[in-house]
Amino acid sequence: MEERMHLYIEFLGREIPTYSVMILLGGITANLLALYFVKRDHLNLYDMIILEAYIVLGGALGAKGLFLWVNRDRIDWSRFFEPEYFDLLMKAGLVFYGGLLGGLFMVFLCKIIHHIEVERYVRTLCFSIPWVHAFGRVGCFMAGCCYGIPYSGPGAVVFPEDCYAPAGISLFPIQLLEAGCLMLLALFLLYLSIRGKYTYTLEVYLVLYAVLRFFLEELRYDSDRGYMGPFSTSQWISIILLILSAYLFWKQKRVQIETKNI
Amino acid sequence: MAVASLVLGIISTIWGVILPSKIIGAIIGIVGIVLGAVVKKNDPSNGMATAGLVLSVIGTVLCLIISVACAAACGACGALF
Repeated sequence: MEERMHLYIEFLGREIPTYSVMILLGGITANLLALYFVKRDHLNLYDMIILEAYIVLGGALGAKGLFLWVNRDRIDWSRFFEPEYFDLLMKAGLVFYGGLLGGLFMVFLCKIIHHIEVERYVRTLCFSIPWVHAFGRVGCFMAGCCYGIPYSGPGAVVFPEDCYAPAGISLFPIQLLEAGCLMLLALFLLYLSIRGKYTYTLEVYLVLYAVLRFFLEELRYDSDRGYMGPFSTSQWISIILLILSAYLFWKQKRVQIETKNI
Repeated sequence: MAVASLVLGIISTIWGVILPSKIIGAIIGIVGIVLGAVVKKNDPSNGMATAGLVLSVIGTVLCLIISVACAAACGACGALF
């Protein structure tokens, strides 16, 4: 049987990146779940659409921006405005943490510009972030990117020639492990939202993902990790997110106490 | 704003099909989504805003699905570095 990674899916005569298809599937399913909460909790559908548009914009720009920053020494900035080089740069990779931080910033901006009660939407629909991310990681596995360290134990994978992972070497299936952990996290947050216990869902997500990412980073073997001192860029961001989560948790706790005292 | 949403939706859809540097088409589409949704929030029966919103979503998805690719990116990485 010929093994071939599914870097692309052919659709109507066009090659569509598998990663994008998985992200799209994740996005569609997450939005269907979100519609359930919009209806159940009488949220405003158009507020959700506006907020989602801001988050996607912030996510895309943040993920791309952090990728460009991590690779700043390898990019020929004098060619940045050449159409072909710019096109390559725009296609040449993303960093999830950049997307997360960009998305969070745009949530804040959306609140200021449109006066939407963003916290309610973010906390209720927080499960959608790890949900879509899990689908994306499966896309990574199907394409062979974001691969793991050399490993020959149970579950090891060997990627063939036509993908980004080094061919013929037994590697740890980090993409699948992360996808599984993210989906568990998403289901836990979804459970909290279904039960109406969404007060701390954002903090729970940030803490658990930061810890998960910090340790799983040690099992990543793909290049361009962007190290600063002993830790990779993503590990440093994990540390910052843990501190941010502690602050958000403290702030939310105060809001809850003040609300009870009114 | 409904007209703007429709125009931006058309532009982003065409951009997603034909033009390169699709992240720019995605940004145009996202702006169209926001404008369409703002109009629909205040006037749910506005047909032009609906068309603008739908086209903007289609355009944004077309642009993102073809340009946002972790592994397709890796081929581009190889060409860049």
